[in-house]
Amino acid sequence: MSLEKPSRDTALDVGVTEDGLDYDALADLLGGHVLDREEHVNAEGFVIRPDEVQEVLSTLKEEAGFDHCACVTAQEYDDRYESIYHLRKFDDPTQELSIIVPSPKDDPHNESAARVYDTADWHEREAYDLVGIDYDDHPDLRRILLPETWQGHPLSQDYNQDQPQIVSLREHANPLEDDKRSEDDPDTMFVNIGPHHPATHGVLHVETVLDGEQIADLEPDIGYLHRCEEQMCQQGTYRHQIMPYPDRWDYISAGILNEWAYARAAEDLADIEVPEYAQVIRTMAAEMCRIASHELALATFALDVFGDFTAVFQYGIRDREIVQNLLEDLTGQRLMFNYLRLGGVAWDLPEPREEYFEKIRDFLDDLPHKLEEIHDLVTGNEIFQMRCVDTGVLSPEQVKQYGATGPVARGSGVDYDIRRDDPYGYYDELDWNVVTEQGGDNFSRVLVRLREVEESARIIEQCVDLLEQWPEDDREIQANVPRTLRPDPDKEIYRSVEGAKGELGIYIRSDGTDKPARFKIRSPCFSNLQTLPEMSQGEYIPDMIASLGSLDIVLGEVDR
Amino acid sequence: MIGILKSMATTMKHALDGETFTVEYPDVAPEVSPRFRGVHKWSQERCIWCRQCENVCPNNTIQIVMDEQRNGEQYNLHIGQCIYCRLCEEVCPTDAILLTQNFEFTADTKDEFAYDKEQLKNVPWYKDIDPLESREPDRGAWIGEGDGEVDYQ
Amino acid sequence: MQSAPLPETLANLLGLDPNSTAVMIVLSLVGAGLIGTLMMTNTALAGPWAKRKITAAFTDRIAVDRIGPYGLFIIVADAVRLLSKELIVPEGADRPAWDLAPLIIASTALLGFAVIPMGNGIHLADPEVGLAYVFAVASTTSIGLVMAGYASNNKYSFLGGLRAVAQNLAYEIPLILTGASVVIFAGSLQMSEIVAAQQQSLIGPLPSWYAFVNPFAFVLFMIANLAEVGRNPFDIPEAPTEIVAGYQTEYSSVYFVLIYLGEFIHIFLGGAIIATIFLGGPAGPVLPGIVWFLIKIWGVFLFTQWARSAVPRVRIDQLIEIGWKGMLVLSLANLLLTAVIVGVTV
Repeated sequence: MSLEKPSRDTALDVGVTEDGLDYDALADLLGGHVLDREEHVNAEGFVIRPDEVQEVLSTLKEEAGFDHCACVTAQEYDDRYESIYHLRKFDDPTQELSIIVPSPKDDPHNESAARVYDTADWHEREAYDLVGIDYDDHPDLRRILLPETWQGHPLSQDYNQDQPQIVSLREHANPLEDDKRSEDDPDTMFVNIGPHHPATHGVLHVETVLDGEQIADLEPDIGYLHRCEEQMCQQGTYRHQIMPYPDRWDYISAGILNEWAYARAAEDLADIEVPEYAQVIRTMAAEMCRIASHELALATFALDVFGDFTAVFQYGIRDREIVQNLLEDLTGQRLMFNYLRLGGVAWDLPEPREEYFEKIRDFLDDLPHKLEEIHDLVTGNEIFQMRCVDTGVLSPEQVKQYGATGPVARGSGVDYDIRRDDPYGYYDELDWNVVTEQGGDNFSRVLVRLREVEESARIIEQCVDLLEQWPEDDREIQANVPRTLRPDPDKEIYRSVEGAKGELGIYIRSDGTDKPARFKIRSPCFSNLQTLPEMSQGEYIPDMIASLGSLDIVLGEVDR
Repeated sequence: MIGILKSMATTMKHALDGETFTVEYPDVAPEVSPRFRGVHKWSQERCIWCRQCENVCPNNTIQIVMDEQRNGEQYNLHIGQCIYCRLCEEVCPTDAILLTQNFEFTADTKDEFAYDKEQLKNVPWYKDIDPLESREPDRGAWIGEGDGEVDYQ
Repeated sequence: MQSAPLPETLANLLGLDPNSTAVMIVLSLVGAGLIGTLMMTNTALAGPWAKRKITAAFTDRIAVDRIGPYGLFIIVADAVRLLSKELIVPEGADRPAWDLAPLIIASTALLGFAVIPMGNGIHLADPEVGLAYVFAVASTTSIGLVMAGYASNNKYSFLGGLRAVAQNLAYEIPLILTGASVVIFAGSLQMSEIVAAQQQSLIGPLPSWYAFVNPFAFVLFMIANLAEVGRNPFDIPEAPTEIVAGYQTEYSSVYFVLIYLGEFIHIFLGGAIIATIFLGGPAGPVLPGIVWFLIKIWGVFLFTQWARSAVPRVRIDQLIEIGWKGMLVLSLANLLLTAVIVGVTV
């Protein structure tokens, strides 16, 4: 079947057995480094010393094949701080391991992992910014989401919310002051691209050093859209109040994909079984979201390359409009769906069902023709090819180092798709393919998205067939879930789904109440955006803009 | 060169077929699906002042004031702060609060969006659609026979 | 049947003495005013209204249709809106240069129309070096662009100004070389001569417009013209998604209107040159010459909008490469071939 994964032989890695990971073997590999072992819902956690992080992680990366540092979660307990490195493998994300690094309460610091995994750079900066853990040997430990002048770390326990935050211009570096980044290169010019710029897809600030028209140095500055989403989720009840918020992370019509990330983590945490019928509806709705999201990604990318509000943008929007109407009929809203519930979905398909199926079928029937048109207009255009082929190249090694996922990884030939590799919903019952392209350039990423739209259409078609034939008395849309959900205390879980932009993961720690004690979002855009400097160094401004467009970031998800 | 010509042919085809996908809003009222969630309508006759909607609201949009005898005095809802998640309608045991299809609301200041009882009662139906008829809310699935106690406070 | 230049026609109409210098100066100004108004009217129609309608047609939308018939009064509304905005002068702007730039951009393009024969006697002057004059004034616009870019004290503007120069340098030469091939055909730089030379029949009813005589030169000229007026795929001096709005980033209110107007007049001037040297100027059946002339320049305008809807913007280095390695070589080859063919046949 098509979901078989062609991959390298992971059997050579330490700890790999036929029925999953052998954590004892991994513990043996690390020997005395492992101080303690914890049981998380998704994987085992090894507790290690704060000054042995690099050694342990590089051993695991080299000898046990953990090449994907999915997420770094930091949190404060009553007696200690803790950083958790969620490791998994690009070849098989079900092989997971958490490395837990406790650090003392009075002076929280531990060794940085940024030398082992490039992606840890930003993740640790975020942990430092929000929780307040210092990472020794970190290349550039600054605040990332909050302004440089912010006082205190908002997710730490002693944070004083009422403390006035005076961010004066005097303390804040004046971007107009210094024209050049380095003294020894007087030919360069410093330009702020953004936060108010037509092509930054939101409020992104790219500090750029130009040498003529070429980019000598570049650094994305994020945080303009930070809305404390993690804190808001920590203050909401599992059962009801968290679900509306995921819609607002990646707000470009990827709502159901985001909701599913939370639903998957919380359902596994609280042992909730979802009825099969609801899973099919979820799968169908999620793929609709993916189509809408990819259509918009393509439309805005064309906008960046074509310039002005050209036809491609409008055609993309027009096609997305149809999907949005379908989703509106199903969920009652066009962007902020709030459709999934723990244990199922909010309501069944709209009546009359036949009419709704008909609408979906019409959409699917028109889709190939519309994609053909897009291919004529965009990918077949020689100037477009001239602009996109071999620009913004990202090698598979860089992808893995930076933990880039989704179409960005697949455009570089990294065959990684959570839907297939760590199946959830109804995906493993359906017939579809994971799309990869080998180029690693802007053009490949566009192609991957376009072909994924086709695959999503295939999935929707199969779901519609299934739903149509579903026996009427078995249409259970929600499992029986208690009104107030209180998972057992100190359960920890990291679960991810394949969002529109890549691996969208959620880490939850419960403390016995009806609200999570720690809620951490692993945003795919956050990791993907880290690759921008690698992609655009030495290229021209237009290429950088195109690369940014092809990364398809949503600042709402980057900044959360 | 052929690709460029193909692109130009594609756009010209669209220019000549004269089809448009935008509508002349507000002259043409857009179609809104029956499940659409717009401004709330509230019914004093139905409300039993159980405060479930106030409790479930994720961002404290609903404010209920009662006197000592637990008689309802005020029911305030800030429709500018609301995120239209429909949880209040979903938990309401009596269908006292409903989200209409009405999405057109304007005000000069944010304060005017803080609706009180009377204003909430007078929210019009959009195109005379009563959402209850089309939605058939599946309350069985929602309230369920779960183990947790029903929390009315 | 060459008609006399406009001032003389006016003098004859009004019964004044065409040999008096004073009369001719006044009438020349009147004529210039007439032609200027005509072109500005076209621009006003194109900028706020036609461009929107055309873009909307390409993108499946409706566009302006609320104010007046077909939304035509949007032109008035837009004029009021734009002119009543605050004129913001950026700190550190190089004042006289910053103020002069919009004037230069708007006026140079307008100057070019002085020598264009528009039919029905609307032809202000007919110097013997007409074509050279048109190219000269049209390319003066670059000075305005550089001034705007440099004087704004804005890095985006600066980049835009530099891009504009690089682009105009790269495309001015192929443009003029291709124009020169027409001169070889016509044997004259005088506009009226060039138009007259296109009146004979080529094959049957097909007139010997140089677009038909030498389609290769026509295509080259059209492409170089797109770059010259800075439209897609060569709109890189503005490139909104890259350098915000290029040289015009800092301009607002009246100055913005002038620059915007200048761009459109420039497109129309490009259209006018093409119409004159490739499409037989005001020639055409049934309708009066001026109408044909306007149809032709609007046709060229439509073409620029069409290209805008479908062709991606090229990168700055690719643009320079196409200009110097492609267009220049092709236009030289075209010139040589034309010279050889004309030399052999005549």
